[in-house]
Amino acid sequence: MEVVHHSSAFLLPSVAPDHRPSLNYALIVLNQRLPRFTPLLWQHAQLRLCADGGANRVFDEMPGLFPHEDAVAVRNRYKPDVIKGDMDSVRTDVVDFYIKLGTKVVDASHDQDTTDLHKCVSFICDFTPDLEKSKLCILVAGALGGRFDHEVGNINVLCRFKDTRIILISDDCLIHLLPKAQNHEIHVLSSVVGPHCGLIPIGMPSRSTTTTGLQWDLSDTEMKFGGLVSTSNIAKGETVTVHSDSDLLWTISIKKSQDSSP
Amino acid sequence: MPGLFPHEDAVAVRNRYKPDVIKGDMDSVRTDVVDFYIKLGTKVVDASHDQDTTDLHKCVSFICDFTPDLEKSKLCILVAGALGGRFDHEVGNINVLCRFKDTRIILISDDCLIHLLPKAQNHEIHVLSSVVGPHCGLIPIGMPSRSTTTTGLQWDLSDTEMKFGGLVSTSNIAKGETVTVHSDSDLLWTISIKKSQDSSP
Repeated sequence: MEVVHHSSAFLLPSVAPDHRPSLNYALIVLNQRLPRFTPLLWQHAQLRLCADGGANRVFDEMPGLFPHEDAVAVRNRYKPDVIKGDMDSVRTDVVDFYIKLGTKVVDASHDQDTTDLHKCVSFICDFTPDLEKSKLCILVAGALGGRFDHEVGNINVLCRFKDTRIILISDDCLIHLLPKAQNHEIHVLSSVVGPHCGLIPIGMPSRSTTTTGLQWDLSDTEMKFGGLVSTSNIAKGETVTVHSDSDLLWTISIKKSQDSSP
Repeated sequence: MPGLFPHEDAVAVRNRYKPDVIKGDMDSVRTDVVDFYIKLGTKVVDASHDQDTTDLHKCVSFICDFTPDLEKSKLCILVAGALGGRFDHEVGNINVLCRFKDTRIILISDDCLIHLLPKAQNHEIHVLSSVVGPHCGLIPIGMPSRSTTTTGLQWDLSDTEMKFGGLVSTSNIAKGETVTVHSDSDLLWTISIKKSQDSSP
């Protein structure tokens, strides 16, 4: 069976050529305080979207990540390609500023059935030619913290778009889906992530999960809420492998002592 | 705690807010902090031998053991600082709600609260709109839910299926004073906490 590779190379200052897989990154910024390494994510991304109030965050907080630079210069440099959502959070002055710079604004307020993140992920998928979809990786900044129902809504987007690589990122950790019945190989770049990690049976109990590379490995082990859920685990080496009969969420901590600028 | 009472003397505040118990695997609490509270009479319970349960689990067990059976139905455990930070910690805390289904446990952060609504019960949630709401959600934690019915929400459910990968009720709105929920599955209820709170009692 083919191996599915996962790597957090997007947290490295530059993507080293030997770090597979080679991916095309897109970035979505949500309406939470910007993670300190957002400029790094921005640099890796070929397409940058703000989900509604995420544009306020880029406008307000990006200059603060470059305290020695002129705020206007920073704002001009970090211009999103698209602002999309139901537009009930983004400030008018922010929209006007980015429109003048050429940002495309897509008002999707007619659609009340999906979250702003869902709308942005759909947009990126529609924008990506089929041939390139396997190399697409969507990074989502500001996906965690704040209201719990928002967090759950964001996690549900991972579950709704199972065939798309989407990584939820906060200052403290990242989360992505490991679809069932695949051999997953997670490359732990210990300079930027780990060691704290976990595997979570999201949506339904998992009858059988087997791992290697963890402090407390699973071996055909059952996991479910109300029973065993693998949290506060430790990634021991450079590679963690996971195979499960169920979709799992993988989460790993992000190291604090990051150089946030690219 | 002193920072929440900026006009008072820090030592006086610390003396007033003395925990009864400090419990866990003791790998985070500072020695000077432990010493300070021991002198005030706080009981310290080192449970570092047990690596299979989280600190929250240990504390909930302690409280349940401490509570006479006759009073268990009136017990409600409030957990401050349960959300945010590392996601696996958050999930571990949520799993404690699932492991102790018969105990009222409420996870609380600055932004919201979460508690379990055990399956097959008629739940009536009294929404005190001066302090909570209106943003709320119902989450099928652990397994898909074949049927949930609600009243009092902007987008009520009516024998509706919920599951991850499909419909999960997030960004809902509590419309009135009472929300009712009945489901075939355990659900998490979450509601926002209003910002303009007076923080002092």
